[in-house]
This record gives sequence, C-alpha cells and structure tokens, in this order.
Amino acid sequence: MRKLCLLLCLLILSGCGAKSQPQGENTCTISISCATILDNMESCVAAKQELVPTDGWLLEPVEVSFSDGESVFDVLLRVCRERKLHMEYSDTPIYNSAYIEGIGNLYEFDVGPLSGWMYKVGDWFPNYGCSNYELKDGDVICWVYTCDLGADVGDNSMQWQQ
Amino acid sequence: MKHRDTFSSFHPVINFLYFGLVLLFTMFLMHPVSIVISLGCSMAYAISLNGSKAVRFSLIAVFPMMVLTAAVNVLFSHEGATILNYLPSGNPLTLESILYGAASSVMLASVLMWFSCYTQVMTSDKFVYLFGRIIPALSLVLSMTLRFVPKFRAQAKVVAQAQACVGRSVSQGSLLRRAKNGITILSILITWSLEHAIETADSMKSRGYGLKGRTAFSIYRFDNRDTYALLWLLFCGSFIVSGWMAGALQWRYYPTVDGELAVPLQLVYLALCVTPLIVNGWEANTWKHSSCET
Repeated sequence: MRKLCLLLCLLILSGCGAKSQPQGENTCTISISCATILDNMESCVAAKQELVPTDGWLLEPVEVSFSDGESVFDVLLRVCRERKLHMEYSDTPIYNSAYIEGIGNLYEFDVGPLSGWMYKVGDWFPNYGCSNYELKDGDVICWVYTCDLGADVGDNSMQWQQ
Repeated sequence: MKHRDTFSSFHPVINFLYFGLVLLFTMFLMHPVSIVISLGCSMAYAISLNGSKAVRFSLIAVFPMMVLTAAVNVLFSHEGATILNYLPSGNPLTLESILYGAASSVMLASVLMWFSCYTQVMTSDKFVYLFGRIIPALSLVLSMTLRFVPKFRAQAKVVAQAQACVGRSVSQGSLLRRAKNGITILSILITWSLEHAIETADSMKSRGYGLKGRTAFSIYRFDNRDTYALLWLLFCGSFIVSGWMAGALQWRYYPTVDGELAVPLQLVYLALCVTPLIVNGWEANTWKHSSCET
C-alpha cells in the first residue's frame, strides 16, 4: 500500500515535470537597438540625448526561452523586467495589441514626428501589433527605433514611392 | 469681520498686478523650490484673510484634490529612469512620475489658494473700476458671474425660509413632498436669478454705464505708497522674468530629475509672494506704536 502511494506520488511529480519541460526547448533571440538616433542626434530632444548608448544597443542580442503561445510582446515585457530596462506600453483595443510607447525612456516622437519603436522578425516587419505575433522556435526578434517611419531601418511599406 | 487687510487698501492696479504676477509665476514655474514658496505664501495669506475658513477649505477641498492629482499622474505616466516597482498592468512605477505628480499637485493647490485670496482682495467694484472703461460689457458680465454663486446661495436661504413659513419646508413631510418643495424653491431661484440679471443690466444701462465721463462707484487715489508698491512689483516681476528667460528657473522631471537652484531668484520670488503679509505686518506694527505713544 505504501509503495503504491509512493509510486503514485512519483508519477504525479514526473507528470508535472514533463508538462513544464517544453518551456526550455523554445528559444528566440531578442535585441533592442536605437542606432538610428545616432545619425539624427540634432533632432533628438535635448533631455534624451544622454540616454542613447554610444553603440546604439539598449539590449544586445540575447537568447531567451519562451513557452508555447507567447507573443513578441510577452517576451519583450519579461526581458525588460528582468533587466530593469524601462519600457512603457499602452493597450490599443482596435488592433487588439499592445503599443510600445517607449523603451529605455526613449519615446515615440522624441526624434522628430516620424520616430518610434518597430519590431522585425528576421528581416520582416510584421504589419500587425507585437501582441499578435506568436513566436516560433528560433525566431530572431529585433526592436529598432526608427526616425523616418521605418525607411531607415529597412521597412519600406510606408513609403509612397516603390 | 477680522482685522483689516492693508494690502486690500492699495490701489486696484497694484492688487491686480500682484495677483497677475503671482498667478503667472505659480502656473509656469515648476521648480520645486518655487512651488513650495508659492504654496506656503498662498496658504499663509489665505489664512490671514479668511482665518479658520481657509484652513477648512484647504483640508476639505484642496488636500483631497492634491492626493488625487498625484495618484492620477502615477497611474498614467510611466516615464522616468528610476524604476521602483511594477504596476499590475506591467508598466513601471517610476520615482520621476511620483515626483512630477507631487509637484503638479502642489502647483494646482497653490493656484486654488491664490484665487481664494484674489476673490477676497479684488472685489467686483475694484474690477469694474479697473476695466469698466476699457471693456465695459465684459467686466460687467465677469463681475456679475463672479458674484453669482454667493448671491444665489444667500437668496436660496431667504427663499427657503420664506417657503418654510408657509409650510413648504424641505425638512418636513414625506420624501416625495420634500423633493417637491425643494424643486419649487429651485424654480423660484432660477426665475429670480434670470430676472435679477436683466434688472442689473437695465439698471447699469439706465445709469449710463460705459459712457464717457462716468465715474466708478468707488474712488481710488494713486498715492505715493502705490508708486512704491508699483516699483517694487515691477522690479520683482522683471527680475524673475529675466531669470526665467535665462533658464535659471528650469527644472527637469523626465527622464531624470535635474536642475539647479538660483538662490537670489528664489529669494526675490519669496519676497514677491509675501509682500501682502509684510505690508500687513508693517501696518499693524505702526498702528501699535502710534497708539502706545499717544
């Protein structure tokens, strides 16, 4: 009887372990860069200039693990919180997504009217919010600060020409 | 009535200029030292003008509003380099947003306190004296609107008493009946106030208000004392404005708190804010000495 109990306990415990196991398997790479501000320092708000790192990296590429069904936003929120990196967002119900207003106290519109934060996965800038992109194993996420509505970081979807 | 406020006996130009300057600086200077000076002086002057009524007003109305303003800023603004904790939403709670919320609530409170002093000192006849000739219609409308609330309240009391005499009090009978009586009083009051406004306007017109050569009800003389006060106010005003334009009163709250303290500027600002209190103290002192000698 006692043995059976022990076995049962072990089974339950191992079951728990097995459930949380896949969390460690999925990994993605995330980085946060504001290198474009370095080229547009003259239009940057005076109080914010000292916040821009000399190499532009607010967070150099790091590998983080995530569980199934997590979005780019979930990972960003967790990474910023772990590293005590400032990040402010607001929920936008129309797009059913969070909107990133500022990271590291660098906010939208701080470097001219066309500036703000964008994200890309690999080389692609998804045309929807970061809460709606469900991560896949091995994704490479880059959060980049644009000073020209995406044109200076490689996203031409907002350009009139082309 | 408590002791007379000497500053109120100055020429209306001096009173108006003083409040104009003080309110302008209070609303635009966010330097922590400046806002504390402004709140302290406005509280002290309000207490010297209104006594315990000012204390009650600040405890019941101003203090809760300050707490609310500070809380709202913390909940909606997450900018700032010093992260203290995280809100349930996942946005950071920063030291800078707390400081800015506190500063803006102090600023708002001091504006309220200055306006409570303003209504005591700049009575409507002073306002009409100053602006009756330049902008007759607007100054009449303004003084009538400003008088409206206290006058409406006083009349409400009179009407309620008269109604209570004929058995239509708001404190007797069933709930429905009391509500009915209350509405009757309100309807009487609204009719009265509309009629009263028209009567006032007609009366002012029939007495030639706004015409050339008409004098005001109160006569004020601009004497030597007012000249000195004017020079003093102009000196303080221009000194502070020039320092402000030079950036010595700048204070940054976001993303990190930063700024410097210009002691002479803040001292002049303090001197400007306490001017009425100094004038009152001076006058009281002179009066005491003169009565001792005779």
